Amino acid sequence: MKLSVEHIAILSGILLMAIGLWGILGRKNILKMIISFTVFDTGLNILIVALGYLPGRTAPIVDGPVTVENLSQVAVDPVPQALVLTAIVIGFGVTALMLVYALKMHEKKKTLDINEYTDLKW
Amino acid sequence: MVSPYYILTIGLGLAFLLGLLGKKLSKVNIAVIMLAMISFAAISASWVWQFAFGNAEESLFFSAGFEPPFSIALKLGFQEAIIAFMVNIMGLFSTLFLWKKLHKENDKLAPVLLVLFMGLNMLILTRDLFNIFVFLEITAIALGGLILLDERKHAASAGFKYLLASSLISAVYLLGAVLVYFSTGSLYIDDLILGGPVAGPMAGIAVFLTIIAIVLELKPFPANGWALDVYQGAHPAIAAIISAGVGTAMLFVLHKLMIISGPMMAQMITVAGLLTFLFSNWLGISQRDSNRLLGYSSIGQLGLIMAIIGMQDILGDQFAFIAMGILLSHFFAKAGLFWISGIVGGSKLESFAVLRSRPLLLLMFGIFLFALSAFPPFPSFYAKWDLIFALSDAKQYLFITLILFGSFFEVVYLIRWFGIVVKNTSEEVKEKLPVNITQIIPISVFAAALLFFGYYGQHFMNVPINLNYIPLIAVAALWILDFLPTWVKNTLLIVATLFYGYIILPQLHDFAFIFAIIFLLGAFLTLLFGYSYKGKRPGFYPLVAMMFAGLILLVEAKDLFSFFFAWEIMTAGSYFLILRGKKSQPHAFSYMLFSFGGALLILAGFALAHSVTGSYTFDALTMVGALSPLVFIMLAIGFLTKTAAIGLHIWLPGAHSEAESDVSPMVSGILLKAGVYGLLILFMRMGHQFVLGLDLMVVLSWVAVITSIGGYLLASVQEDMKRLLAYSSVGQLGIILFGLTLMSNLGWLLAIAGVITHFLNKTLLFQAVGGVYSRTHDRTMYRMGGLIHRMPITFIFVLIGIISMSGVPPLVGFAGKWLSFNAVLSKGYYLQGVGMVLAGAIAFLYLFRLIHVPFLGQLKDHLRKVKEASFWILLPQIIILMIIMAFSALPGVLLEPIGSAVGKIFPTGGLTWQDSFLPFGSRTAISEYGYWNGTYVMVITMIIFAVLLGFQMLIQRRNKKVGQFNIVYSAERPSTPETTHAGYHFYAHYQKAVGFLIAPLATNFWNWVSDIVQSIANQIRRIYNGNGQVYLIHLVIYFLICFFIFNGGL
Repeated sequence: MKLSVEHIAILSGILLMAIGLWGILGRKNILKMIISFTVFDTGLNILIVALGYLPGRTAPIVDGPVTVENLSQVAVDPVPQALVLTAIVIGFGVTALMLVYALKMHEKKKTLDINEYTDLKW
Repeated sequence: MVSPYYILTIGLGLAFLLGLLGKKLSKVNIAVIMLAMISFAAISASWVWQFAFGNAEESLFFSAGFEPPFSIALKLGFQEAIIAFMVNIMGLFSTLFLWKKLHKENDKLAPVLLVLFMGLNMLILTRDLFNIFVFLEITAIALGGLILLDERKHAASAGFKYLLASSLISAVYLLGAVLVYFSTGSLYIDDLILGGPVAGPMAGIAVFLTIIAIVLELKPFPANGWALDVYQGAHPAIAAIISAGVGTAMLFVLHKLMIISGPMMAQMITVAGLLTFLFSNWLGISQRDSNRLLGYSSIGQLGLIMAIIGMQDILGDQFAFIAMGILLSHFFAKAGLFWISGIVGGSKLESFAVLRSRPLLLLMFGIFLFALSAFPPFPSFYAKWDLIFALSDAKQYLFITLILFGSFFEVVYLIRWFGIVVKNTSEEVKEKLPVNITQIIPISVFAAALLFFGYYGQHFMNVPINLNYIPLIAVAALWILDFLPTWVKNTLLIVATLFYGYIILPQLHDFAFIFAIIFLLGAFLTLLFGYSYKGKRPGFYPLVAMMFAGLILLVEAKDLFSFFFAWEIMTAGSYFLILRGKKSQPHAFSYMLFSFGGALLILAGFALAHSVTGSYTFDALTMVGALSPLVFIMLAIGFLTKTAAIGLHIWLPGAHSEAESDVSPMVSGILLKAGVYGLLILFMRMGHQFVLGLDLMVVLSWVAVITSIGGYLLASVQEDMKRLLAYSSVGQLGIILFGLTLMSNLGWLLAIAGVITHFLNKTLLFQAVGGVYSRTHDRTMYRMGGLIHRMPITFIFVLIGIISMSGVPPLVGFAGKWLSFNAVLSKGYYLQGVGMVLAGAIAFLYLFRLIHVPFLGQLKDHLRKVKEASFWILLPQIIILMIIMAFSALPGVLLEPIGSAVGKIFPTGGLTWQDSFLPFGSRTAISEYGYWNGTYVMVITMIIFAVLLGFQMLIQRRNKKVGQFNIVYSAERPSTPETTHAGYHFYAHYQKAVGFLIAPLATNFWNWVSDIVQSIANQIRRIYNGNGQVYLIHLVIYFLICFFIFNGGL
């Protein structure tokens, strides 16, 4: 079996997700955890786009050779791409909020070590 | 109908407006958000109205004029309308509650709050899987923002944990939703349903991922540490939104997605939910922080509803009612409690004691706690009844067990909290708790809603409802009239009792009639005592009315549901009454635990019996089959918790002795009989049951013997008068139980006569002792003495009381003794009979002390000015005395009607009655072994007494009277004066010999159980170590375990 672009994309998506998860669960620094989240999200987005990719087709933008009539024959499924676009935007929002949290938490305790924030427990 | 897109538009538009013009609008932003929330609520209210009363039909709204998958569909049906309305009501009242904060302190909160509720509305309405993801994230961001913007100490770290968890969960959800699209070509839920069950390997995983993500959002145990921290760290008003608002919306999302899940997923959700319910409540027991406690409770309740959603196929038609009943209780109560926590401001359970300065707030606090505990008349009570019955019909016994244990643990911490708040003596309440109207309105509305839905909800139950609300109206009326002085309320309640008796008694027959007389006459006699109280006694009369309403409804009940309803009303009322005592908090608490545990057994027993026979009346108990011994045991234990059989008695001494002077006779003389009534009904229907060839009735007869010996032994070593009488009740109830277990005409006659004489004697003695206490303010016997000189009338009452109780002729107690020997002989229970004789002998020991120590001997210095008890305390005792005398002289008046009731069940082996030569219609009772005429015995005894008295007066007429101080003291004063008192440690010699019999075995056992339960809880909750990353690992592990179970089909 030949390794196609599609497969490479899927594998790299999964790889990125694994790296992200490893960072989320393993890094103690809050900023590194947040970065790991963005890596994880990126991996997930790549995976979704790759799964929705149909070999030999073009982007679902009605322009030039792609018309409304032949859209479903020549273009890939637009839905996954639309979803990913939305997910990216939302991911941006979440990341921004997390960073604000990191800032606030640092203001209080002057540390970014997640192990230091265990006052609430049991 | 108004298009739901208006909510989206209004929410987003105004939020942007507030965000952009924040500074310029800061004066009016509260008006803007209020307007928005009102419009949300109004729009959803109009939907509910049109669905409920108009002829609205379920409709779909597509965005931008496309059809799915290219557009987003919002579906608006009745369900959606109701849930959206609930969430919007929560939004409206949260805004009102946060008024001051939004207006003055933090104007940045307003737009975030608006976006949050807009997001929740869309979560409820949308039919698009991806759209659910979008709004999950929007609500998560908005919540994250809300938590952060409120500058509390630990809000930031808690909010961060929440964000971490929710981001991970939404990633799982997103992957699931996208995979659903790839395997089906649509994200539109209704397309997925139309296409049949989603099939194929990828589809299976896709559905699993989407649903497990929502399950994780609902905080399943043990992957829920992040949620607990948020409940604790966030502002209580925000915690209220998370618990009631977000929780409700999330549950609805799960419900919506259930149609694409298979049976296996449903089962997994059920198990996850029930484990969460059980363990959250269990771990909550060790919790001391109020907000975290509410967090545990919230998670538990969400778990239960999640399980109900998983079980909807099992529950069938009743699903919606059960789910809504529990959800509504959780929704209103949890929001209300978090709001009250916001007003109180403290985080310790004890800090809520400041509520005592605000009786109305305290009342609502109680309403919320008891609604959560599933007491009537709240929606959760009805829902839980239906739930247990439905599960029993479906033979899901494991699920029932989990739910019952979870419910019990929940009550442990909720009621303990209530007790601490109402009665904790370590917390002094000095200042009035400051409240403002915008905070009180939401709480009041939610409390009122609970009561409304409690009344309204029962009509949707699966049982024929014929509840009598008249006694409960009296309770409500007395709440309203609570401002009146004591004597007015007392008179009102007495008149109401007598009038109700006049109406109801002719409708009752046999045992119900006899017990109704006890309850009504008991209410009358014990209420007379109340005239001796001055002032207003706030809150006392509604509670008394509540307990007696429960009792009278109990005897009116003709079906299982009415019985259980009355049982719970009575339990709650008596708990509150006992709690009023000065030091009664721990005792009231243990009373509640035993009663509630017993009630759960009764509920389960009823449900099992119903599942076999299909009947909702007491006839359900005439079941046969393998389950019947089990049902018998469950019900018997349930009722025996109320009669305080040995082992289940440890709540009684404290509860009865620490209660107020007029409450003690109520709970001891009267309330205990409710348990006897339950046993009567049970024995009448189920009779002898066998386990491994062993007759359970014989086992119970031994329990009864041990109970009476143990109770009397314990009574004889008490130093406290009321504790002595309390233990005496344990023993007497043992004798009554023994009579019932004989299952013969004479046995039951003995039991019922015992019920009546115990009621009379114990009421008399508790009132006499209450009279002593009212003058001496002391209950310890050896500190008193010689009271015969100061309180001669009370002395006579106590004397008559103990003679009657000890069962010597000529008083009515002898009837019991005579009957018991006859009954034992005719049944052939010789060994038990020996035990009963022994118990009777021990009874003399403690009864003797009651008269000897406080009344005889030297009058104590500090008692020299003591006066006789007041008229209103003596009056009921005089009445009781006359009744005792009448029954003693003419026992036939008492025994013949009982005999005719018993004769309907046991036609043979009863007494026969014969006219005698004596006047006043005196009759002689004839049994197999002999005859007895009370009048005759009385006359003879009187003659002997008079002769002896005359003789003594004759030979003693020259004796010189020795004054109290006509003696010589030695020169030393002992350091422990009580040890030199003859009355102290009176039976030291017996105690040395048989002291091992009264070792606190039962108390030690239950302490051991409670220690184990608590230490397990303490160990388990250490997994919530506060580290956000560890919480994520919990989530991942939970996910993986579910994944392998799902795919491995374990």
